[in-house]
Amino acid sequence: MDTKARLKQLLAEHMNLPDLCREDFNDDTPLFGGNLGLDSLDAVELVVVIKKYFGVEILDLEESKTAFGSINALAAFIDFRLPA
Amino acid sequence: MIHEDPASRDRERGAESDVKRPWTARSLGSKFQHQIFYTVIRLLGRYGAYLLLVFTVAWYVLFRPSVRQRSSFYLRRRFPRHNAPQRLLDCYKLCLSLGKVLVDRAVVGILGPKKLGCTLSDKEELHALLAEGRGLILVTAHVGSWQLGMASLYELETPVSLLLHRDQGDVDRHFNEHGDQAPPYRIIDPLGYLGGTLEMLQVLKAGQVLCIMGDRVMGGEGSTLTVDFLGGPVAMPFSPYKLASATTAPIAIIFPHTTGSNSYSLKVGGVLRVPPDLGRSPAAYLPYAQQYVQALEAFVRDYPYQFFNFFDMWTDPTSKPDSA
Repeated sequence: MDTKARLKQLLAEHMNLPDLCREDFNDDTPLFGGNLGLDSLDAVELVVVIKKYFGVEILDLEESKTAFGSINALAAFIDFRLPA
Repeated sequence: MIHEDPASRDRERGAESDVKRPWTARSLGSKFQHQIFYTVIRLLGRYGAYLLLVFTVAWYVLFRPSVRQRSSFYLRRRFPRHNAPQRLLDCYKLCLSLGKVLVDRAVVGILGPKKLGCTLSDKEELHALLAEGRGLILVTAHVGSWQLGMASLYELETPVSLLLHRDQGDVDRHFNEHGDQAPPYRIIDPLGYLGGTLEMLQVLKAGQVLCIMGDRVMGGEGSTLTVDFLGGPVAMPFSPYKLASATTAPIAIIFPHTTGSNSYSLKVGGVLRVPPDLGRSPAAYLPYAQQYVQALEAFVRDYPYQFFNFFDMWTDPTSKPDSA
């Protein structure tokens, strides 16, 4: 399973976002401030889930602004940060 | 120097964000009125300012119905059996107490910190919590003198960050702003990017101290729980408990308060251990919010005139006023 598919599965499960697994879900949808209904506190949960399952830490503000842009952006960020 | 709150003035002056809050941190007094107090402190010292305060507060309490109304939300709950004259006196005592705190804050800024004593009680307990290496969340409230209390945290010898929003145009100065002093804490704006949550995580990750007001929803963090406080339901944020669960940082409940005519104390009112991985459901954090509120109730029982929330906390908490 590639990073994006695993990420969507994890977020659907841990953050109660079943829409992520729909085939017609647009992976460029903004994670925050969009239709997903995530709020600022969910960023805490998101950081924890990504650290726990991918070993990637997102705490830098500038990095997070890019990474939290969408599912596509987050998957790309994780891939970039994952050890080769 | 009394703090005005509800949204009316925000609407009149134009709030700086589109977040709806039932309170504002903006001072009731004008810049000119503040300057008068600062000048009196410089010329006559703290007790000269107290004397002026006695009459200023009396004027506000007697001739500004909005001051009585905003005080009444809490006072009706705290003293349900008091009659009208007693309530007027309660209002005066509460506003005078707040005024003294604000004068003391200015005194420390203008005349120096040695003019007042602030004791960090339970310092060893806080040191022990910090030594766990997971950061420390201090959950406090708008009671006593939080600024002077927070300043005493330098004794922990660890950087302190404070979640704090200041209304645009507020003329009331924090004590360090009377001179060129750097603030004794780093400020994280809850209306910043993602409600400041990532900055808060950074602080805890670095093993530092994060201080959050547990009695008001700031705006960026829209999630609240409904808990009973003084006999009625209120909306309280659950962000401190969620952060604790995400980071396994311990929580210390602290209430800085006046202990005498010349002293403040910052005492630990309880320690909370929130289990990790509690998830997104607000209900998971209810027991911790309830423990905080119980500690707050105990505080206002002991110090009834040191609770400074001048808005109706009990109005329809399910409406989540800042969840927009």
